[in-house]
This record gives sequence, structure tokens and C-alpha cells, in this order.
Amino acid sequence: MTTQIERFSFAERVSHWTSALCFLYAAFTGLALWSPRLFWLSGVFGGGETVRAWHPWAGLIFSVALGVMFKRWAGQMQLDQDDQVWLAKSHLYAQHIEAGIPESGRFNAGQKMMFWLQSASAFFLLLSGLVIWFPEVAPRSARLIAILLHPVCASVSMGGIIVHFYMSTLAVPGALSAMVHGTVSRGWARSHHGKWFREVDGR
Amino acid sequence: MAVTTVAKLVDTSLCIGCKACEVACQEWNDQEFTLGVFNNTYQTQPDLSPSFWNLIKFNEHVDDGVNSWLMAKYQCMHCADAGCIKACPAPGAIVQLPNGIVDFKQDNCIGCGYCITGCPFDVPRLSPTSKKVYKCSLCSDRVGAGMTPACIRTCPTNCLTFGSRTDLVQLASIRTAELKEDGFMDAGVYDGPGVGGTNVLYVLKHASEPEKYGLPKDPRIPWTVSLWKGPLKWVANAAFLGTALGAMLHYLKFGPQERHDDDTD
Repeated sequence: MTTQIERFSFAERVSHWTSALCFLYAAFTGLALWSPRLFWLSGVFGGGETVRAWHPWAGLIFSVALGVMFKRWAGQMQLDQDDQVWLAKSHLYAQHIEAGIPESGRFNAGQKMMFWLQSASAFFLLLSGLVIWFPEVAPRSARLIAILLHPVCASVSMGGIIVHFYMSTLAVPGALSAMVHGTVSRGWARSHHGKWFREVDGR
Repeated sequence: MAVTTVAKLVDTSLCIGCKACEVACQEWNDQEFTLGVFNNTYQTQPDLSPSFWNLIKFNEHVDDGVNSWLMAKYQCMHCADAGCIKACPAPGAIVQLPNGIVDFKQDNCIGCGYCITGCPFDVPRLSPTSKKVYKCSLCSDRVGAGMTPACIRTCPTNCLTFGSRTDLVQLASIRTAELKEDGFMDAGVYDGPGVGGTNVLYVLKHASEPEKYGLPKDPRIPWTVSLWKGPLKWVANAAFLGTALGAMLHYLKFGPQERHDDDTD
């Protein structure tokens, strides 16, 4: 038997899954509003008018949930010297060649990059989204920028989430369970996040 | 037989500002009129609204100390290359009829307002109550029944003419020539070549300065709209598919990371 150690607190898991659900809703309804060819997706979510009414709210709740995560994690997501080396050798990491790759703290450099990518795109999605939400109020010049910025950021963020989704479900066994149950085994912690393991293990 | 492209000619030099066309538009389209804002002009109201699709703009103009009005009929221009259609995500919400009329079908409209951003002439108006967008339909219902649009039917001065676009382009050039004979050397036709030609044509006394009439100098679909609805789609689609494909290939080649559930230290 292995002893489990806490990886994500209840608050962290709630904010993560709140943002995840809102993200999925906003992503699929966003695709429906993105192109007439994908408009059929709006039917899955209650029709075009419903989608137009709710997509902004989903985005707003997503922003709040992500804001909670940002506040908790931004400090831990700063890249250090080891992370620079990690990034330089990330192609080895991808091939599961771990020799010479520095141990990670609570988050590895890849996760940190994902965090900043998602935070930055979410920030601009929120700004441009507010402009698109109220076309009759927002000035025309702002709308012209927003209609371009919003899908660009959405594409970046959705592309990132495809990677995030793949890493957390298929590529790294144990990661999904950590975000659902909040705990990981000691062995998992030591091998994936060695520095963090020694901090929390305290021995 | 190919369907004739219909058009409306507005000879601004003949407009007397009687606003009969505004009333006819309101009556035929069964619009309520609510008093707007009085802003010290003779205009009915400062701007178009969801229930006011045709506004005569009284543009005040001073030339050599002489005051005059440059009347301009402000409504949908029925562009051949329509920015509203390009921007609209809802199939069937904006249709371009074979006769060239660009018509909004409110049943299919989802109220996103993208058409407002796509329109180079700033014409569509979103109703806060119905959450649908409205604009001039060039009386597509009347035209479909062989009648003339309400505004044109009621115009007392022949400022407005309805007919085939080809005929009206000819008429416009005749009127331009007449204005030039009268000494308006800057007279010309405004027909929006940047949007593939508009089906509302203007004869202007000051054709080199359409801004004086409240008309954009060189109307085009905004480049951000064209980029958004054109190349960006392909870049984004390629990025999504590429990422998903990359993930699949990675899994097939390298598989998952090793599990380390044992605790042997």
C-alpha cells in the first residue's frame, strides 16, 4: 500500500472543474458562432438564440474560476533556472527520456507554460468578449478589433487545451485522478515532481 | 430568364426633405414611431433604430458663406458583396435574393450583432426587446409582388427612382451630366465599387466628398472581418487538427509515461 499525499485542495479542484465545464461549453458554442458550417452545434446546446445568450455568461464564470486559480497559482508558476533547462530538453521529456531533465517543483515547466498561455488568452478573451457581448454599446473600432482578437485567442486557448487534455488523461497516468480526487501516490509525486515531493514529504 | 437586379436611385439634388419616404416606410413596415431626441436639426431623429429604417439626413453645408442642406437618404445599401452576410454565423438569417435585395430574416437571427460590425455603412440595428437585428428590406415583399418600394412610391419630387440597376446607372449618369451643365462640376454617382457595387445609388453634387453626406469615402468590408471570416478559419482549423493529430501520433509512438505508484525509497 502506498500513502497518498494531497496534490490539489478542494478549492483548487472546484475552480479547475468549474472553469473546465465552462470552457467546454464556451468552446463548443463558440465554434457554433464561429462559422455557418458549425452552426449545427448550436442545436446541441438549445439553439442559436440560447447559445448567443449563454455563451458570454459561461465565459464570465470561466473567467472568475480561472481568476481563482490564477490568484492561487501565479506565484508558483514563475519559471526558474531548472525550468529553463527543462524547456530546452522538453523534446526528451516527450520521448520519456528523463535522464538529465531537472526535477520539477509543484508544477513542471510545461504546466507553467500552459498556465500562462491559458491565463493570457483568457484575459484577452474576456476583454474582447465583453465588447462582442454588447455590439450596440461598444464603439465600432473596439468591435473591429474584438471580432478578430476573440477567435485568435480562442484558437490558441483551445489548441492548448487539446494538449492539456491529452497530457492529463492519456499521456500522464495519475494526473486526472490527482485533479479529481486531489491526491497522488508518494511514488508518483517523487517521480513527476521531485522537488515538490521533498517539500511536502518533509523527510 | 435571369432575374433583373433591382436598385434604388437617390438623386440627392432633388430631395426637398419632406420626409414622406420616412412616413411611408414606417407605415408599410408597420413600425411604431416613438419620439426620439431633438438635437437642433430638422432631422426626424439623429440615427436609425430597430424600428426606423430610413432616415433623411439634413447635413448642413456652408459653401462661400451660403448655407445649404446636403440631403442624404440613410438606409441599407444592399451591397453586392455584403459585409453583414460575411459576418453572420446563422444560416438563413441574412439572405441575398436573386434580384440583389439583402434581406434579414428575423426568425433565423440569433441577435449576435456581428452584421453591425460587418456593415461598412453602419446600418443594422439590434432591438433590445426582441434581440433581433433590423434594417431596410428594400420592401422585398412589395418588390416580390411587382410593386415599388414604399419610400419610392411616395416620393413627390422624383428624387427616388426604382428599377433595374442597369437602367438606373444610365439615369444616374444622365442626371450627373445635367448637374454638371448646371455648374455642379463635382457631380457624380456614388455606388460603392469597394463592396461590389451597391443597389442603392446616389447622385451627389459633391461626389468627391461623400463624407459631407454622411457616406463613407471608400466603403469596404472591414479587413478584420474579411480576415476573421477568411484565412483565420483555415489557420485555426489546421491548428486544431494538427494538435489533435500530433497528440495521437505521440501516443502511438511513445505511449504514456511510466506509472510510479510504488513507494520504494
